[in-house]
Amino acid sequence: MSGVVDVSARDPKRLTVAERLYFPEIFRGMAVTMRHLLRNLVRMSRLPTILYPEKKRDYSGRFRGKHILTTRDDGTLKCVACYMCAQACPAECITIVAGEHPKLAYEKYPVVFDIDMLRCVYCGFCVDACPKDAIWMTRDYEMAFFNREEAIFGINKLAAAPGLPVKDGYGYRPYYPGDGTVPPTDASAAPVPPGDGERFRIREAGLVTVRPSSPQLMPEDAETPPR
Amino acid sequence: MTVLESTALSPEAEKIRGRIAATPISERVEVLDLDLPTLEVGPEDWIALARFLRDDPECRYDLFLDLASVDNLRRRERKTRYEAVVHLHSIAHDRHVRVKVVIPDGAEPTLPSVHDVWPAANWFEREAYDLMGFRFTGHPNLRRLLCHDAFVGHPLRKDYAPGQRWFFAEEDLRMPDWAAETDERAGHFETQTLSIGPSHPATHGVIHLIARLDGERITRAETQIGYMHRCFEKMSETHTWNQIIPYCDRLNYVSAMINGVGYVKTVERMLGIEIPERGVLIRTILSEFSRIMDHCVNIGTNLVDIGALTNFWYLYQPRENIYSLLEACCGARLTVSYVRVGGLAIDVPEDFDARCRELLESIPKFLEDVDRLVTRNRIVRNRLSGTGVVTPEQAIAWGFTGPVLRSTGVAYDVRRSRPYDFYDRFDWDVAISREGDNFARYSVRMEEMRQSLKIIRQALDILPAKGPVSSSDWHVMLPPKDAVYHDMESLIYHFKLIMEGIRVPKGERYDWIEGANGELGFYAISEGSGGPYRLKPRPPCFPMMAAYEHMIVGGPISDAVATLGTLNIIAGELER
Repeated sequence: MSGVVDVSARDPKRLTVAERLYFPEIFRGMAVTMRHLLRNLVRMSRLPTILYPEKKRDYSGRFRGKHILTTRDDGTLKCVACYMCAQACPAECITIVAGEHPKLAYEKYPVVFDIDMLRCVYCGFCVDACPKDAIWMTRDYEMAFFNREEAIFGINKLAAAPGLPVKDGYGYRPYYPGDGTVPPTDASAAPVPPGDGERFRIREAGLVTVRPSSPQLMPEDAETPPR
Repeated sequence: MTVLESTALSPEAEKIRGRIAATPISERVEVLDLDLPTLEVGPEDWIALARFLRDDPECRYDLFLDLASVDNLRRRERKTRYEAVVHLHSIAHDRHVRVKVVIPDGAEPTLPSVHDVWPAANWFEREAYDLMGFRFTGHPNLRRLLCHDAFVGHPLRKDYAPGQRWFFAEEDLRMPDWAAETDERAGHFETQTLSIGPSHPATHGVIHLIARLDGERITRAETQIGYMHRCFEKMSETHTWNQIIPYCDRLNYVSAMINGVGYVKTVERMLGIEIPERGVLIRTILSEFSRIMDHCVNIGTNLVDIGALTNFWYLYQPRENIYSLLEACCGARLTVSYVRVGGLAIDVPEDFDARCRELLESIPKFLEDVDRLVTRNRIVRNRLSGTGVVTPEQAIAWGFTGPVLRSTGVAYDVRRSRPYDFYDRFDWDVAISREGDNFARYSVRMEEMRQSLKIIRQALDILPAKGPVSSSDWHVMLPPKDAVYHDMESLIYHFKLIMEGIRVPKGERYDWIEGANGELGFYAISEGSGGPYRLKPRPPCFPMMAAYEHMIVGGPISDAVATLGTLNIIAGELER
């Protein structure tokens, strides 16, 4: 704690003759700007401005840019369509439609996972909410659209492409830091040994009744084999 | 009030009750003790109580802070449907009080206007009329403020369904009656009405100023706002406590961090949880950096408006560097969303201390440059000295807080009057000036930036190098991700927090901190669910904007532009 400082008391109200003459003050001001100009000319590399499209600002590994849906080693999405991110989203920009995965161990997966990039406020709440480490953010902030429909990104635009580098690098994710840190292994992320069709075998054994919701992955004819 | 109700009250509330006992309205005023001393009164006695609270030497509640309108439709235990909740501050005694005007159920909620007791109430009452439909008898200009003039209904009422869409035309905007008058005077001058804004570079945001001019002098003015109204209060009623944090960033977007801190502190006090020291200090450091940013933007743009462009660049450079620091901490530059109820989203990076100290080194250099260019410059002095003058009495009557109030000589700073966090541990001065003009506001802000640097330096010195930044109460904070992935218990906590939100105990609270522009308060009512029942921010620039149309009368337009700049109007928090 301390006191109160009165700035009007220490500021002499009357301007001196030199100050009232305008010109000495103008030259004093010019000296400040000239100093900046000369310093900038000498040290062009430390200019605060950036020639943007050619050179890009270096953002930290926590930057909240475009989202990315992470994948397991076998290329499937880690997302289990639990709707937690959609629920946590303050902008209500995430739309999920869940479907049943043919692999029993994966159980659920998102048939549709849309993020409206124009509604999104890039707060990172979806990353915090995800219990499966399935959604991260990248440092990609260059998103320009010609119309509103284009701004709705589906799985094809959001999913991480295995083996390909992420544009501009990873940003905000549950295991922060710096770049290059590897998140701890997620138990669900490891590939699951039983192969495709496991669900069918179990159903045929009469253990469980499964009603597929996604015709692309599980065609009707596969469900009821011809007799 | 009866003897039966006289349970033990806090000394403050007891004092008010003792003073009221001697007045004729004492029978009809109920004194309660919530987080603040609270008086309950009916509309018929509201004016008498208002005059008593302002004039009684033991009360002297001269600063009108906020008026929140509350619809009790879904609150069972309240007596009537509508309440007007007023918060007042006493400069002389340095304390707050809350008055609840309990409006009897009837056709339309009606209560008397107190704009002649506190001129600051004028716009707050217009807002309550607009959003909640309160009729203020005796109000001089009871028209819509934030919503469009053609809007039908009152959106903050609980029976107004959120999510309705409206389309409005510019033609339906109401102009003041006097705008169409033509007043031809003797001589060669004719008075005319000029519409400045809403999209004018000097109006900083979208503010519409309608000015009646006699030559170049403004003889009458009216401001119209609401172009950036985003239903903050209605939206917060349909979302959870944590989801409101990103909305708070968009209140005062120039110093987003301070808004978030102010909001979560209110919720944390309602929950009664403690934040680790390290988390509090990081909040303080980043808040003070945000304050510097806010003042930089304010001074920079103000000087651009009066023709001193170079300063804008010198002041935006520190802001740019502070943005980089914020980005390294939380991943966003402008809308940080860094705080959470219970702490911070994530810990700061390892080089936080070094980066802060680097900024502490570099920022004063830019301030020096601006000082050298501006402070003794005659042109700037001619533009700013003696223009937009506010006396301390006017500033208090209009409800000013923050640097604008301090520039008139009133040393009211929340960080000093009610030190929150660790502000009482730091050695710093409240910057004031005696002049009350535009130049005083400039110099107070310049000094405040230096004081903020001083606070940051001391906070860095006591900042523990390691340790938690957030509460470990998993009813409030999300458990660590490791635990969520592998531990059932943590996953359940995680799930409950996301799906239902934080369960804040039933009650209400007004909490206030020193925003970059004045007292930033949040009045929150919880009904025990995952989101607020009602959330009303007290935007610091709202009363200043209300007073602006009176401040500029008599001066030329060029002074009006300079005055608008030094008042620091942020449309995001003005219109919410």
